Amino acid sequence: MADDDYWNTSETKAKAFSFDDDVLSPQEILAIGQKSYPGQTENAFSSTVSTKANLLPLSSLVSPKVLDLIVLAQSGKDPKEKPESDQTVAVTLKRLILGRSFTLHSHRSLKSKTELLDGAIAIGDGNAILTVVLFLIQTLNKKLVYELLTLRPLALNHYISFLQVEGKITDLTDLLTMLGRSPEAAVYQFQHIVKTQGDSVDGLLRKLNNLVSNHFNQPGVDTHQTKMVSDYIKLLEWQKCANKTELNNKSTLHCLSYCCTHHWHEGAGNMMSPLTLCQRQQVTPLQYDWVVLNVHANSNKWDIVESLFTKKDWLGRTTVSSHIPMETLLWRLSELSASKQMLATCLNKIQNSEDRLRLAQKYKSRKTLVHGCK
Amino acid sequence: MDQPLSMKLASLSLISQHKLEKILDQCGSKADLIIDPSLIKPLEKICGVSWLRHHGIEKIYKMDPQLGPTANTIRVYLIPACIKKYKCVLDQISSLLSQNPSLTDAKCFNIIITPKVISMFDSILENRGLYDVVKLHSFTWELMYLDDQLLSLELPFLYKQLFVEQNHSLLSSISMSLWSLFHVTGRPKCILSLGKLSASVLDILEVYNESYSRDFISPEFSRDFGALILMDRDQDYASSLLTPATYSGLLSEIFDISCGRLEMNGNDTKLKRGKLNFTTSEGKSSKPTVINLDSSIDNLYGEIKHRHFSEVLSVLSSKAKLLKNEDIKALGIQEMKEYVATKLQQVTLFKQNLVNHVLVSETIISEMNNKFENLTLTESEMLNNRNKKSNFTFVDENFGTDIHIYNSLRLMCLLSLTQGLSYEEYNSLVSKYLLAFGYKFLYVFNNLIKAGLLVQPSSPKLTLSNLGNLSERLPKWQNEFQTIANKLKQLPSKSDDGKSPSYVFNGGYVPLVAVICNALLSSESLPDVLTKLSALSDLKVGGAVIEKLKDGIGTLNEKLANMNLQSDLDFGCRDAKTLLKTMKGDKLNCFNLKPRTILVYVIGGVTYAEIAACNVIQTVTCSKIIIASDCIVSGSDLMAANT
Repeated sequence: MADDDYWNTSETKAKAFSFDDDVLSPQEILAIGQKSYPGQTENAFSSTVSTKANLLPLSSLVSPKVLDLIVLAQSGKDPKEKPESDQTVAVTLKRLILGRSFTLHSHRSLKSKTELLDGAIAIGDGNAILTVVLFLIQTLNKKLVYELLTLRPLALNHYISFLQVEGKITDLTDLLTMLGRSPEAAVYQFQHIVKTQGDSVDGLLRKLNNLVSNHFNQPGVDTHQTKMVSDYIKLLEWQKCANKTELNNKSTLHCLSYCCTHHWHEGAGNMMSPLTLCQRQQVTPLQYDWVVLNVHANSNKWDIVESLFTKKDWLGRTTVSSHIPMETLLWRLSELSASKQMLATCLNKIQNSEDRLRLAQKYKSRKTLVHGCK
Repeated sequence: MDQPLSMKLASLSLISQHKLEKILDQCGSKADLIIDPSLIKPLEKICGVSWLRHHGIEKIYKMDPQLGPTANTIRVYLIPACIKKYKCVLDQISSLLSQNPSLTDAKCFNIIITPKVISMFDSILENRGLYDVVKLHSFTWELMYLDDQLLSLELPFLYKQLFVEQNHSLLSSISMSLWSLFHVTGRPKCILSLGKLSASVLDILEVYNESYSRDFISPEFSRDFGALILMDRDQDYASSLLTPATYSGLLSEIFDISCGRLEMNGNDTKLKRGKLNFTTSEGKSSKPTVINLDSSIDNLYGEIKHRHFSEVLSVLSSKAKLLKNEDIKALGIQEMKEYVATKLQQVTLFKQNLVNHVLVSETIISEMNNKFENLTLTESEMLNNRNKKSNFTFVDENFGTDIHIYNSLRLMCLLSLTQGLSYEEYNSLVSKYLLAFGYKFLYVFNNLIKAGLLVQPSSPKLTLSNLGNLSERLPKWQNEFQTIANKLKQLPSKSDDGKSPSYVFNGGYVPLVAVICNALLSSESLPDVLTKLSALSDLKVGGAVIEKLKDGIGTLNEKLANMNLQSDLDFGCRDAKTLLKTMKGDKLNCFNLKPRTILVYVIGGVTYAEIAACNVIQTVTCSKIIIASDCIVSGSDLMAANT
């Protein structure tokens, strides 16, 4: 079934399907499809005509009584006038799940509260679980609630998610610290900060500096995570110096591409020099090459691209040197419509002659093909 | 009353409409509807503007925090069950009230929340002093019939809540969708559930059944569905991470699709949008091309949706040739008139569809052409746990060059789940990702770990405490993933007869739903099915097939009384392993199954590739498989939910 042939043979769009004489090219199909008939008006039939096939009448789908029941279930209203006076755990849970009015306050003993929680967990209705947890928080002291939650991860997760959504980040940190999960608390705090501070460099710097000294430097926090947050701070400090609103809280590579466009000739050591930024943020050579290639090729500065990625060897031949793997480089160069010369130089760098010919064919490099046939 | 199943399913929208009507009845006439933009398309599937007008809505506005005064006093908000959006509406109402305190007693504020009001919303309302001022309504719309044999609740935020935030507050809305569906179709005799959420959905469903059992509902079992398979999304992440090879699968990779409507805006695609942008030029906004992915409207789509993409253009080409041969110049006047009256519209529509499919196919080719081969090859190596080093190099290179905000993460997750990542490899990818898209995304990796999409490697420092697990970090011949996948025959060998559902992933992998369907459809009895699926640890069974095994205690009250901590409730379903033992001991031979129609329900989103794979199974076994989910997703959608 896997028909790889298609992908192999489709070198270019126009030629993609011409390997089979019986198959029309997309352009030919479009020509047939777009040819209009006499009398046809523009827009007469848009593809959005949704003449839905005839539906069955509601009454033949379900009986009226059932329909009332379905509406009743959606509304969560009680079918009876007076709700049961019996307040067993099961009755309360059922009312919670059905969305009916309920009171939890008759459950005053710890045993009854625990049964409520366990019942909600056993059924698995999150709405019931969260409601019971919040009731416990209201009516029991924290220590007792945390004890109950420690043994019940599902309930704990619901409470964590509640605190997070409500932005109660201090409570969340307290909870996780008490449970011995402070490394997680650090990440939740981090998430909270980036979601609430927007792109304000000053605000982020202040909050993140605090976060690193109070939470990320604690034992148990993953060292790489701590490094990432410290690198974030370094980048923000750089952005503060750069003082360009369009760079605020943008990614390193975004800033790098800005520097490449506007400050390409500034030497290392200079604040806005691409090299300075690379060193500071430890951009990998691969990513650096990728950004430089794309930025300069997009602005048609092929001379820079060439001077960066090619050099003369001791015989005077031009060869390519880049951290970007050759196949990827070739593909990208051709997408950016690089010169035939450039592509040919890249192709020559490829050692394996089979690969070279295959790629030469793919990117239509006659020079290499002729060369390769020799 | 026995109508064809497809008609019944398509008509579910009428029940949704009726439910909405009952809510609007309580809101009063001459009202303004203020709708969250994300709900416009789903609402169009349920009712039109004129229907709304007919039911008391005078003006319709898009929800916007800055929305000023509207035409009428009565306001009906329609929003998804999202705390942020809910609070935004309450803020708006509060500010209106402060300008005009007399509205407090006017009972003019209504908020319709879909799929349901959770009790936290009530508390927030009370907390803000708006109780009795604002009325909350739950609107639990029915499954929408998007395409032939395809149902969806179209609640795209559910995956994030259920799996990333691990908040199951809206889980009951899935139970309710099944509960009302079974009023229309009857209950399936056999239910298989896979995963914790699926089991809970069945338990909650049982609560509904018990609470709303009425004399007038016949307990008759379904002629429509022989069996139901419920599965949690995280039970088969591979099927959502792999690159699909089918037409519809690739469409969902590249274009935005909502409620079965695909929109193509010029050159803008999901793939382009997620990459680093090195140019400043803005894309021209042109009139979007819309394609309805519904075979009842566009039968051409029906013909090509499940095909391997390599076949699509030749099908389109043959259709074009047929059109070309239809020469109307040869017709006489009378014939011409008849042609215009009867066939012209059809032909014009067909041509429009043809053109649209060619246009999107061309986009797929230009976006995927260079990557597809290497990508699927690497994915297949990962699945089979081969060449780990070069697989990592492939991913690492992708992160260093043509990185994509979602698809690159997807590759990382797949590698992590199938072959594992060392501490250094993991961090190398994380660093590159953060350099490219910003350190602010650091938390994303924690979300992925929480959702079970990524496995965090432990730091390689040797301390006394982790010396014990040293053996766990030594390379293994086979990972857990391959062990299970091999037992279930999900990894096909090269020699394939061409009829394997694995074509949906270019021959690399059979989706789990297809495996389960196949087991169910090709087995004589329930023990037979359970034996075939014994590699699955979270499998449970429910429905009438196990009714005879019920041990006396049935109602929720009794169940809860007999329950102890950390044991399963086994209310709506029972553990498959213990069940299998019981049945083997019993030697009862009353579990003949042979369902002909199966409903598959994936919780957390189903992919087009999975749908196509099930289509193969139904053809081979001459059965019918209906797919349902809370949403139709692609791998990048799952990644987006983690950010």
